[in-house]
Amino acid sequence: MPQQVGNGSAAWRRLLRPGTGGDTSGASWLVLLLFLGPALLVFGAMTAYPMVRTICDSFFTIDDPDKPIWVGLANYVTLAGDGTFRRAVVNTLIWSVAAPVLDVGVGLLLALCLYAKVPFTRFLRVAWFTPVLLSYVVVAIVWLWLYNYDWGIVNVLFRAIGLGGLASAWLGNPHLALGSLIFIDVWKWAGFNMVVCLAAIHSLPSEVLEAAELDNCGWGGKLRFVIVPMLRPTLLNLYILAFVAKMKVFDLVWIMTQGGPLWSTETVSTYVYKRAFAWNTFDLGYPAAIASVWFGVVIVTVLLLNRLLRSRERVEF
Amino acid sequence: MKRQVLACAAALCAALLSPVPPPAAAEPTQITMVSNWPDEPAKKAWVSDRVADFNAGNQQCSVKLTFTPKAEIFTQLKATLRTGHAPDIFYMEPDSPEFFDGGYLEPLDAYIEQAGIEDWARPAWTHNGKIYGIPAEAYTVELYYNKNLVKKLGVELPPDFQLTQAQFADLVNRAIKAGIAPVAAGVGDRPYPGAFLTFESLLRKLGIEDYGKLVHGQLSYNDPRVIAVLTWMKGMIDAGAYPRSMSTLKLGEAHFYFYSSPGAVIFPDPSWYTGRAFAKPEDGGQPADFPLGIMQYPAMDNGACPTCKTLAVGGSFSMFSKSPHKECAGAMLRSMATVENGTKWMEMVALQTGIKSDPNKIDSPHADYFKDLNARDKNAKYFFGVPLLYYRGKCAETYSQVMNAAFPEGLIGVKDAADQMDAACLSK
Amino acid sequence: MLSRAFSRGGLMAILVAYTAFAGFPFLWVGTMSLRTTTEIAYNHYGWPSPAHWAKFRTAWIDSAFNTYFANSAAVVIGSVAVITLVGSAAAHCLARYRFPGNRLIYFILFSSIILPPQIVLIAVYQTLVEYNLYDTLWGLGLVYVSLQLPLTIYLLEGFFARIPQDLFDAAKVDGYGDFEIFFRLVLPVGMPAIATTVILNFILLWNEFLFAVVLIADDDLRTLPVGIQRFMGDHFQDIGMIATGVMISVLPVVVVYAFFSEKLIQGMTAGAVK
Repeated sequence: MPQQVGNGSAAWRRLLRPGTGGDTSGASWLVLLLFLGPALLVFGAMTAYPMVRTICDSFFTIDDPDKPIWVGLANYVTLAGDGTFRRAVVNTLIWSVAAPVLDVGVGLLLALCLYAKVPFTRFLRVAWFTPVLLSYVVVAIVWLWLYNYDWGIVNVLFRAIGLGGLASAWLGNPHLALGSLIFIDVWKWAGFNMVVCLAAIHSLPSEVLEAAELDNCGWGGKLRFVIVPMLRPTLLNLYILAFVAKMKVFDLVWIMTQGGPLWSTETVSTYVYKRAFAWNTFDLGYPAAIASVWFGVVIVTVLLLNRLLRSRERVEF
Repeated sequence: MKRQVLACAAALCAALLSPVPPPAAAEPTQITMVSNWPDEPAKKAWVSDRVADFNAGNQQCSVKLTFTPKAEIFTQLKATLRTGHAPDIFYMEPDSPEFFDGGYLEPLDAYIEQAGIEDWARPAWTHNGKIYGIPAEAYTVELYYNKNLVKKLGVELPPDFQLTQAQFADLVNRAIKAGIAPVAAGVGDRPYPGAFLTFESLLRKLGIEDYGKLVHGQLSYNDPRVIAVLTWMKGMIDAGAYPRSMSTLKLGEAHFYFYSSPGAVIFPDPSWYTGRAFAKPEDGGQPADFPLGIMQYPAMDNGACPTCKTLAVGGSFSMFSKSPHKECAGAMLRSMATVENGTKWMEMVALQTGIKSDPNKIDSPHADYFKDLNARDKNAKYFFGVPLLYYRGKCAETYSQVMNAAFPEGLIGVKDAADQMDAACLSK
Repeated sequence: MLSRAFSRGGLMAILVAYTAFAGFPFLWVGTMSLRTTTEIAYNHYGWPSPAHWAKFRTAWIDSAFNTYFANSAAVVIGSVAVITLVGSAAAHCLARYRFPGNRLIYFILFSSIILPPQIVLIAVYQTLVEYNLYDTLWGLGLVYVSLQLPLTIYLLEGFFARIPQDLFDAAKVDGYGDFEIFFRLVLPVGMPAIATTVILNFILLWNEFLFAVVLIADDDLRTLPVGIQRFMGDHFQDIGMIATGVMISVLPVVVVYAFFSEKLIQGMTAGAVK
């Protein structure tokens, strides 16, 4: 059955308003409950309720858990003037917007390479996927060694090829630290994007690709005018996934630089964690205010994404 | 809106009124104890011995001991204390005052013998006249050096082991010229090691009273004396005194950097240096024949107090104020704070302790080291506490990012550092 | 012709370079896991000779890796199973049934994916304590389910909605009820997407660190990432041992991936030959 690619808007409207499967005369409440109930229960108890609680906390100063002190909007006022928070927001946004482009781009290129029927495809597929499998603790340990100024392979290679001047303290330089961390993130996730892109390419209708071949499109032309447009929904979906993950990044930064040097790698999640766990205080009100503001930012972002993708196609696997 | 307010109120009411469940204790007489130092064999052995002795000699109580890395201890404490589930005895440091402020520490006066605690260590843990922690670990901030390397560089130390400002800078420059790393330091996992050289020099320049003002936010970092010291430091930093890998080098790795590979000339470190250095070489300790020397921090030009030194209390043990097993926990702590155990600590760990000890009974394989250490400390005038004992919140964070990391790494200038510290720490 | 060969050669060069880039760190850790720290300090990039296989045994036994391993396996396998079942049920419901609030629920789920978990860490912890689930693997499993559920539902909903309507119509004609449609139509057809989410969830939860540190205090219940971190703390300078521990923790994930990825590729390539 050919995939519905690039169809008219009627099909999409149908997709955007589900209920075309099962019973169109309205599903029985019992069925809905059994399907959706467990998920909503878990979500409500473990995600929604803590979030509401956090928002409530933000209006208090909670040095003593039994005696919260109402402070109204004081936490938010302080937050508005908090330079570290501003820095953290900027860093997180840079990361979330720039890194996915690299992630998905590299993934796509790799998938194309594999699609071009190179030898050892299966081995390469596994080899390129291994970084995805490693935990952030492991990745941090390994890359701390790789970035080591004296004997890390990055600097060793630079010195070996005569570019010793480029050997730097990658995580010690405020101008390089964020980029170095983003580099690691791309290294880790490109393989995942590659696998998904590869599957998507494989599921493209072969007739179109053959037609392009017959039309004597070179690889460049095929790429630009046929493959990428057809992959657009997949690519967009991968971008969203990557964006979403980067907005939350914590482990990698915390283990490697804890937000330093000079707050150049401070992200919103590390700052929240610092204020809640490493700030000489038990107060939860201020970190809760940060959390609430960030939640607001997230909602706005999601709305924007939703608008951007109103006409997007569903993900193809 | 109204519904949300009600929901908030309901959630808060639920939180306020829900009973605090008792800590999960398996048997009535078992208490939990959490200690730091999983990677320091000597201290680990001392703590394990104390628990083993206690368990053997006490029928009503038994202690379950866990060793946890420091960062994890504090993360877990911050989470568990809020809901009443903390261990009965836990590792604590005096420069985390929020634990006392939150009322989570139990006063120990009723449980321990006051005579078992050194008088000079008492203030670290005394609030409102009561004592809240057993100061197992105490330290002075020292300057270790490699005797052979210093000799190789052609520098001879005066009999009082204290160089002048100019001589010290000269030593650093000679090391740089010879391609040897001058100073070993790593700030990857601690918020203070990079600042030792700077702040010990400030102490000697300003004297006890004014240095005290500095760390209490009552003296500006733009004071000409402070700027003079910072400028002298900046000269050496720019020449390359600190390792380039400093920002991600861990404290433990910095030890290794000093005495193994690549080897450095000096290592500013508190006297707890021995906890790692005196371990077996294959466990990360210093090589068997390492030429360890201790020198005084350099005397500052026109310095107010060249013989001043920082003394502080480090790892201690406190009791959870809401523990249901206070008797048992108290008995355990009481058994730790005796002269005999203080002596054992000094023998095993080769480090000072806030528990009273008998210097005549110390039978340590490191007698020479102790001789050196005591000689350096003989005429010292002590200032109590490191800056982080007094700095809080944003000031502490700025200290960690600026004075501990960015300034020694050469990332910011003297004026910039001084202004940032003032902005964060100076009380208006 | 020449340009063909050149571009071919260039392609190969890129492939080799990228393979080295992606695989080198893993390979390096592998070699270090078989050398002692002294050997490593002497030459950071040497090949193990002799290969100290005994280190694996030491790490496994002395450091209680078997306990950590078992705990991680129990929690993660259980959580992934629950997530897959509950998530696909919810995704199917959202994708195929029309009812008021459908898009609203979808929107709320989607927006919670972006929330950094640190924000709700303390509140989640307090909730667990109140229900006596703190310091239990059940509690941790529950938290893990809640962490990955929104993302799983989002991914599966997208796929399930694409399943052609004809299949459902045919099933209805054959008299299938709602549940039979779910179990015998949606799940088999959706296998590629489900396999993808299983792999993703397994990887993310097996390596999850923050909640495991805060929500589990009992040493006997610790999971593997915390165990590695602890291991690092115990052997602060023992690079060789750390590398060994790392290898032990990575192997099961490789196995799971190897097993599921074949199914995944089969499913995907089968879909192309329709």
